[in-house]
Amino acid sequence: MASLVDALPRLRRRGARRKGRGADIIQTIALVCAVLLAGGALLAPWLTPFDPLDQSLLARLRPPIGFDRYSAGHLAGTDELGRDVLSRSLHGLRLTLALAFAGAVIGLLLGGLLGLIAGQRRGWVEDGIMSLVDMQIAIPFTLVALLVLALMGSSLTVLVLVLGIAGWEQYARIVRGEVRRIAAQPYLEAAHTAGAGPFYIAWRHVLPNLVSPLVVQFTLSLSNIVILESTLSFLGLGVQPPQPSLGSMVGLGRDYMPTAPWIVLTPAALIVVLTFTVQILGDWLRDRADVRLRER
Amino acid sequence: MFRLLLTTALVTLPLVAAAQEITVGAANVAPYIDPGRDHSNVGSQFYYNTFDTLIDRDHGKLELEWVPALATSWKLVEPKVMEFKLREGVKFHNGADMTADDVVFSLNRMMQATFPPYVVRAKDRLGNFLRAEKVDDLTIRVVAEREEPLWETLMSLQQVMIVPEAYIKGLTGKADVAEDSDYEAFALAPVGTGPYKVAAFQPGEKLVWERFDDFWGETAPLERATVVQIAETASRVTALKTGEADIITNVAPDQLSLIDSDPNLKTEGSATALFHVMIMNQNHPKLRDPRIRQALSLAIDRDALNEALWLGKAIVPSTHTMAEMGALHQPDLVTFEYDPERARKLLEEAGYDGFEITFDTAATYYTNGLLAAQAIMEMWGAVGINGRVNVQDQWSGNDPEMMVRNWSNPMYFADPFGSFGVMWAPGGPSESEGRFNTDADYAKKWDRFRFSTDVADRNAAYVELMEEIKQDPPMLPLYRPFESWGMKQSVNWAPMPGHIPYVLDFRAGSISFAGN
Amino acid sequence: MTPYLLRHVLKAVVTLWAIVTVTFVATRLSGNPIDTFLGEGLTAEGRQALIDYFQLDRSLWHQYLAYLRGVLSGEFGLSFVDRRPVTTVVAERLWPSGQLLLTSVALTVAVSLPLGVLAAVYRRSWIGSAVMVVAFTGYAVPSFVLAIVMVLTFSYWLNWLPVVGNGTWLHFIMPTIAMSGGLIAALTRFTRNAMLDVLGQDFIRTARAKGLRETQVVLKHGLGNASITVISVIGLQIAGLAAAGSVVVESIFSWPGVGQMLVNAAILRDYPVLQFGVIAVAVAVVSINILTDIAYALADPRIRLARA
Repeated sequence: MASLVDALPRLRRRGARRKGRGADIIQTIALVCAVLLAGGALLAPWLTPFDPLDQSLLARLRPPIGFDRYSAGHLAGTDELGRDVLSRSLHGLRLTLALAFAGAVIGLLLGGLLGLIAGQRRGWVEDGIMSLVDMQIAIPFTLVALLVLALMGSSLTVLVLVLGIAGWEQYARIVRGEVRRIAAQPYLEAAHTAGAGPFYIAWRHVLPNLVSPLVVQFTLSLSNIVILESTLSFLGLGVQPPQPSLGSMVGLGRDYMPTAPWIVLTPAALIVVLTFTVQILGDWLRDRADVRLRER
Repeated sequence: MFRLLLTTALVTLPLVAAAQEITVGAANVAPYIDPGRDHSNVGSQFYYNTFDTLIDRDHGKLELEWVPALATSWKLVEPKVMEFKLREGVKFHNGADMTADDVVFSLNRMMQATFPPYVVRAKDRLGNFLRAEKVDDLTIRVVAEREEPLWETLMSLQQVMIVPEAYIKGLTGKADVAEDSDYEAFALAPVGTGPYKVAAFQPGEKLVWERFDDFWGETAPLERATVVQIAETASRVTALKTGEADIITNVAPDQLSLIDSDPNLKTEGSATALFHVMIMNQNHPKLRDPRIRQALSLAIDRDALNEALWLGKAIVPSTHTMAEMGALHQPDLVTFEYDPERARKLLEEAGYDGFEITFDTAATYYTNGLLAAQAIMEMWGAVGINGRVNVQDQWSGNDPEMMVRNWSNPMYFADPFGSFGVMWAPGGPSESEGRFNTDADYAKKWDRFRFSTDVADRNAAYVELMEEIKQDPPMLPLYRPFESWGMKQSVNWAPMPGHIPYVLDFRAGSISFAGN
Repeated sequence: MTPYLLRHVLKAVVTLWAIVTVTFVATRLSGNPIDTFLGEGLTAEGRQALIDYFQLDRSLWHQYLAYLRGVLSGEFGLSFVDRRPVTTVVAERLWPSGQLLLTSVALTVAVSLPLGVLAAVYRRSWIGSAVMVVAFTGYAVPSFVLAIVMVLTFSYWLNWLPVVGNGTWLHFIMPTIAMSGGLIAALTRFTRNAMLDVLGQDFIRTARAKGLRETQVVLKHGLGNASITVISVIGLQIAGLAAAGSVVVESIFSWPGVGQMLVNAAILRDYPVLQFGVIAVAVAVVSINILTDIAYALADPRIRLARA
């Protein structure tokens, strides 16, 4: 994660030169949202007035503040077991984000490593890795994820692994491309003759060049993973009850849409805002970093 | 404009009043239609319209009242042999006449089952019957191994509905032999003698009944009935609103107000003859001490579950008994209670150290199943039990690792043998799966309860069995769920008290339309 | 072209074999159909009888070889659940899935190409920003949220649109939109970027210098060239994203498609259906990819020549 933090000031500086006016407002909104969402997720245990699992069978399906039958303290209403929707949403957000980060990091490590190997070793190793990449691009991964979870049974471990495998191929492509580009540079030749080993070269010369494209890709993939996780949980194959995730709250609450829409609307709105924010930020980072990534 | 478009598009769908056609939106459509191999809650919806038994009952009444169906009369000719006179002029949906051979074939396919899915279903309830024999063209006999106190009851089971011999044998392979593949093919193209024939069947998706004009009894009120699977609760309710369905099944209590508040719609429901139960593995190393299982049971406030999740409409039993069982209904017996104090004490005595106890449940199969499981965890927590819900669709009742899970114990027929008796028999399903133990003493009591011809003796034996269950509990009946159907105001239909759970009965007298 | 095609087909066959094998192993190791859908309350003999009946006691190798032999001779077996040939079960569901895919692709292309071009041409004005905000929003709203909100509004409250099955064209409206939301967002952004790339190139400047009208420059030269890259993304993205949306859409709209069938087969361990379903989907995806490649090659003279 250190690389991410290091990269940011540099991106900002580079971006400052080519700043456009038009989209400023949106980006500002996105930044504010990002801070709020991250704050809400990180501080969920301290912010929320209720334990997300605490039930109150006598106060089920109570509406949010300002409506009839409002149950004191439950600002966003209660769900089908009388649990606090706001507390569950924030904890759900926390879990969704944690899963997304974990998945993205696994994808980054896995893809990065394979990309590095593919870039340095030519021949059948590279061919093999690249056909894996091709396969990964070609298969409908959500479907594969659903089948894997249906077969293996859903646990957080399996879920995180599935989310990690979801986006590795993009990192592999970026890293391999960069490694090959740099390998052709004369200074690498020099480093090589000077006796530098492949790992030293990777660390010293390849990595710094990779930081900004990887940060951008990381951000972009984050929103994909959030959507994947929500979809899986919505279908009941992701995060399992009573643990809340944004997707599973929508999934389990959808039967109550006409009578108690607040159960679904709060987590659904959070998913949309979260994905939107991450997308805008990713796009913004990409423009600033001036890296050209292939669209997913 | 859109409303108009929709109406135009739906012309192909039934218009209730005019053509007497209806569409049912069902949570599940069975994967096959064969009354013999099926005893599921999904399947039981479909058999009564399509098939007949030898003996039927008046389903409008809770009390047992037998009525002639494909048999016009029956009597014991020897202590263990019953003779049935068959109805004349009965036709199968394929046009063939029903003969004594068909009846003997139908009964023996279960009583002397060779097709594995039949073997499975036949043993636990038809085990006392040796064979059926033809006497003449309109007379058959059924021979039992021991004196049978429940002749009529067992001869009216879904599993012994009458099917056509020649048709089945001719489906695949040799035309005069009943191969396994014949039964497989039959389950996809079922033919019976009932008031509706199956005109189209897409497993798990759709079933279309059409009126069978040559039905031996009163003509069916509907021209055509289509059952489509709409798995999602929200979609089912919406389909009722848009008019895509005239009746929908499995409406959860939380959805009732939604339908009832619409002036064009209504709901009908009843506390189904079935218990949602919590089963506990007697042989799990950590649950061997009965006191732990007693505590798991005593900690659950079933009345609170009923009030909160079922609007108080479910029935919480004090023992494993139902009003349907007539003389064998024992409502005064108290086997299961809520007593958190005792639960705490028992846990302490048993030296419970806070280990995790998992509660398996499928996500959606039982109405309110997942909600109840989560609420039970809360109740367990209140007495210090560390419980965790484990959502999985696989059946885990035969897994030695299974600790606790939910299940349903339907009333397969109106007798304690048909609900408790089948599932908790010595060597029966629960014991075979390794989560329930019986000894010679239990077996003796069970045998008296099953075979005694004296009702008082059967009741006394049942009390003794319940005491065993109480002392070393393998299960807790939670409640009889209140199951509801939503429908248009114009449809007059309701579940009838004399049926086993979930039967969609569209026979004459069971369904009609306002204004017709 | 021919060796190029041949290599593709060979690769596809190897891929399919790998997929069949992985699916086979994964399903067999993960559980037993007897325990998942026939299992409730079976007596011990009953269970054994069923295991024998379904021949589940054979060794894995035996079952695997038997399955491969079956595949080669076109025999894919019977569903464990309803005992119909799996080819029938799957075929019945492929067409509804295909229909929905086609309407979704059509809607996606019809909406996102113009939007993408607009966003590229007016990238410095509010129009471009507005289009992009719409695109981002489209991507940020998951198909399940879009679907349940539409059902609530258009069916439950307004009573305008049906929610069950695929009977009439009205049934297609909501599922198509739910499937396309994310696709439209992705393809709009992609078209925009492809257009920006093309519009910045020398031959566009030449075209403008020749005095062609701007619309002609944009549509003929710009979109014409950008479409080469757009085609490639349609093939790759759409198969994947559509499959993602399909399970959700199928379950909410009771759409008799392949996605829902596969997930159910996986839950029930209906091996034959799952295996053949996966093969069918894989064949479909691989064919779409090959067709995309060919279309791409045909559209781009550089590739056509280089690979010939």
